[in-house]
Amino acid sequence: MGTVHARSMDPLPMQGPELGVQADDMDLGEPDREEKQEVLENKDVVVQRVHIDGLGRTKEDILTYEIADVFRAKSLIDVMKKSHEARQKLLRMGIFRQVEVVIDTAEGADAVPNGLDVTFEVKEMRRMTGSYNTMVGNNEGSMVLGLKLPNVFGRAEKMTFQFSYGTKETSYGLSFFKPQPGHFERNFSLNLYKVTGQFPWSSVRETDKGISTEISFPIWRTNHTLKWEGVWRELGCLARTASFAVREESGHSLKSSLSHAMVIDTRNSSILPRKGALLKINQELAGYSGGDVTFLKEDFEIQLNKTLFWDSVLSTSLWGGMLLPLGDKPSSIADRFYLGGPTSVRGFSMYSIGPQSEGDYLGGEAYWAGGVHLYTPLPFRPGRGGFGDLFRTHFFLNAGNLCNLNYGEGPRAHLSKLAECIRWSYGAGIVLRLGNIARLELNYCIPMGVQSGDRICDGVQFGAGIRFL
Amino acid sequence: MSLAAEAFVSQIAAAEPWPESATLYQPLKEDQILLSDSASSLAVQTFLRMCGLPIQVTCRPNAEYMSPSGKVPFIHVGNQVVSELGPIVQFAKAKGNSLSDGLDDVQRAEMKAYMELVNNMLLTAELYIQWCDDSTASEISRPRYSSPYAWPLNHVLSYQKQWEVRKKMNAIGWAGKNLEQVYEDVSQCCQALSQRLGTQPYFFNKQPTELDALVFGHLFTILTTQLASDDLAEKVKAFSNLLSFCHRIEQTYFKEHDRESSGSSRHSKGSLP
Amino acid sequence: MAAPCELFCWKAGLGLPSVDTDSLIVLAYARFAGAPLKIHKISNPWRSPTGSLPALRTGEEGSCSQPSQIIIQLRKQKYNADYDLSAKEGADTLAFISLLEERLLPALIYALWIDSKNYVDVTRRWHAENISFPLNFFLPSRMQNKQLERLRLIRGNASLESGEEAEKELYRDALECLNLLSQRLGSNKFFFGDSPSSLDAYVFGHLAPLIKIQLPNCRLQHHLKHLDNLNTFCSTILSLYFPSEGPEGVGRPVSQAQQGSDSDNEPYKRRKQLLSVLVAVAAMLSYALFTGIVAIEHVREEEPGGHASLQGPVHEEEEE
Repeated sequence: MGTVHARSMDPLPMQGPELGVQADDMDLGEPDREEKQEVLENKDVVVQRVHIDGLGRTKEDILTYEIADVFRAKSLIDVMKKSHEARQKLLRMGIFRQVEVVIDTAEGADAVPNGLDVTFEVKEMRRMTGSYNTMVGNNEGSMVLGLKLPNVFGRAEKMTFQFSYGTKETSYGLSFFKPQPGHFERNFSLNLYKVTGQFPWSSVRETDKGISTEISFPIWRTNHTLKWEGVWRELGCLARTASFAVREESGHSLKSSLSHAMVIDTRNSSILPRKGALLKINQELAGYSGGDVTFLKEDFEIQLNKTLFWDSVLSTSLWGGMLLPLGDKPSSIADRFYLGGPTSVRGFSMYSIGPQSEGDYLGGEAYWAGGVHLYTPLPFRPGRGGFGDLFRTHFFLNAGNLCNLNYGEGPRAHLSKLAECIRWSYGAGIVLRLGNIARLELNYCIPMGVQSGDRICDGVQFGAGIRFL
Repeated sequence: MSLAAEAFVSQIAAAEPWPESATLYQPLKEDQILLSDSASSLAVQTFLRMCGLPIQVTCRPNAEYMSPSGKVPFIHVGNQVVSELGPIVQFAKAKGNSLSDGLDDVQRAEMKAYMELVNNMLLTAELYIQWCDDSTASEISRPRYSSPYAWPLNHVLSYQKQWEVRKKMNAIGWAGKNLEQVYEDVSQCCQALSQRLGTQPYFFNKQPTELDALVFGHLFTILTTQLASDDLAEKVKAFSNLLSFCHRIEQTYFKEHDRESSGSSRHSKGSLP
Repeated sequence: MAAPCELFCWKAGLGLPSVDTDSLIVLAYARFAGAPLKIHKISNPWRSPTGSLPALRTGEEGSCSQPSQIIIQLRKQKYNADYDLSAKEGADTLAFISLLEERLLPALIYALWIDSKNYVDVTRRWHAENISFPLNFFLPSRMQNKQLERLRLIRGNASLESGEEAEKELYRDALECLNLLSQRLGSNKFFFGDSPSSLDAYVFGHLAPLIKIQLPNCRLQHHLKHLDNLNTFCSTILSLYFPSEGPEGVGRPVSQAQQGSDSDNEPYKRRKQLLSVLVAVAAMLSYALFTGIVAIEHVREEEPGGHASLQGPVHEEEEE
């Protein structure tokens, strides 16, 4: 049940004006209500029938997996709990706009006295939904058209197409997603895309056209993703004044890589967690399956959260990674790691730490970064229990280093190199949570350990992003 | 041919002396470079040798994409990057090295006109033969052009390039020509050059100019590069004064230095017949 | 020649014997060589035998469209303006034509078709006024796209993206070319002495639009004004070889030229008016049909068909 909540796939806020039984059912998620109900009703019941009303093109067989548990309920409380879980599971599949549960005493010839009928009244999503929006960035605008076909073949398959037409670039993505019936976490997806990125800190423009296939599955408490990706990359200079080192990297390459990612996430929220830990390990092997890029890339992310006194949270995180070119070719600017900026080592400009040439940052083959944060509620807690809970103040201490490793010196030399010239910074600021996907930060930072060539952002720094150190 | 490089270069190029580390970048000499690029590269090398400016030649599979104009060759001098002969001539001039200072106005006009003739006809003919003649394209151009890339990118890139060149031919009205007509154009161009050269050692008498470098670059490369057929080289060989002109420049500027940087590609026949 | 060849080219306008560079080249060459051509000055490229202008239709060898090919074709029929040229002068001709095509033509295309003010105020306006009715809505923009594509291919892809810088560069190349031409011409009447040759036709074709068409936004024209010998060169050719168009074309400012072309257009105008009335009537009729009459017609048409199809199975059932 915990995983269900953590995923928070619920597309609709729960509401129940005409819900009757379901109104209680809603509240079952909260443990304190559960106890009261238990006192009221503790009779043995049998679930005789489960109906699903409102099905159109959805195939029933995949739903039977999701609702099977309801039959195993032995008491009314159990029925409500199981129905609620089943409802969450149905909503999570992303094929229903609305799911309501009605629990009634069984009727009909074969009805037993303590028999119950459970009816799920569902409303399917439209066969096709479209979206349209315009985005304006610095000096460019773009129009994004999206097309989504939830439940294409009736078994929760999802097809999405996104096309963005910009003043400078066009990009598109087509993806197909199919979960295994009954195990939504085990799924397969296929993507086809073209994206263009401009990276002013390196004066690089990158156009990727690629195809990737992905299989995700849980093992015990971990989530695994296996992925193959074939991508045709074209690198170019963003401006005529780009450094020669960047110029030398221009041109086409073909990367074919196999990667594996493992995630354990026990945090209660991904943006402002109060407790729990996260471990992410990602490894990528490029080459051997084709293409002309060969490397082995490893990186990890650890985060630990602990609630202290007065609602304050102590959070520590550590990132690290290493890129090992396997062939005789040096690593590409597109594959290397970058560090710095309001989402990693604060107090430094975006990706502006480490090796550079004429002001263009070239990235490094190894890096580590660590941070300690103390999150506290806003002083005097304005807007408590509502709007104010989206904000936190925090005090932080970040450190990290990024460098190239001359392979052949041995691991000890590598470690000592990473321990030299550590960049670090400290400061304080305000964090705003945006939904459950991103956050904004406004910080006052004091960078320390600055090396020549680094670009710093002394004082107030603003940042937005989804992944934070 | 000239690009923003020119404006950029003439403004910035200070009177700094020519550094020893100046480097010329071109595609891989053995496996990749095509006739037209090889000719342009040799022209630039010849020009720099005529000016007495040292240059190191470096081969890179991505030279075309490194170049600011998308065309090879380009030179990297100090912290500046200049591509193609026209801008390079101006760049050298800004640094105080010019071959055409001794010419009067009419001669300079004629020199520029003949340089455009070479670009307009010889270079276009080379591109046509490389990419629009099916046997040359499939036997030589596409395999060589795509040699540094992995499958299937090699096919994608070479067909993309071919399509681009064919579109250009369409735009300038060459798409309707057949191979014979293109050879005819080459002959006509050589005829014009031969007439202009007459019996002089260089196009403008005693002193070489950038026109001589450009003509040598193209003719020598045509003469020494093995293509699907010898027809193109035969057209040039019909003009004996152009042959001896090539000989003379090769002897003066390349034989004394080294044989290697003569810019000829894979099936080099070495020196001239 | 039994039947004279027919030459199709863009019609006169904007103070020029023809508005199009290639047409001007061919026209001038034909005049220089004294070729007795039947000239059709039209404003619809689709009426040309090759689908583009200019085009030469010869009795026995079909049609051709490129200026160089047309000149070769005329030469074959012994109308040769380059007869007196020495071999070296022939070589120079080839070289200077290349110079024009590589250096001046891109700037000319840019000035007429890409620079938006010039395009809207002059080029598109002229074409919209002179191309006949339904074509004038899309032909100008199609021609512009074609020219843009051509420029992009000639100059390389990246160069046009930089906007102003590209313009500067095109114009700088063109200025240099104009200076070179002026230097080469010197005080001669024509490029090779006293009689005009194909090079003169090419230079005229490229320069005359720049000299005669009043573009609101073109630095090239200001520069060209200072090159006296090139101006004289063009007006000499206009007065000597295009005397009929001469007095109107040379002396008259653009506004009058446009009036002239307007009066030429009188029948077109009436046709346009007629067409617009027709379109309006058609629209009204179709609206009426859609709202009322169609329904009745449908019923009438479908009823017999419906009966037949209904009766079919009924009959069968009865038989069974």
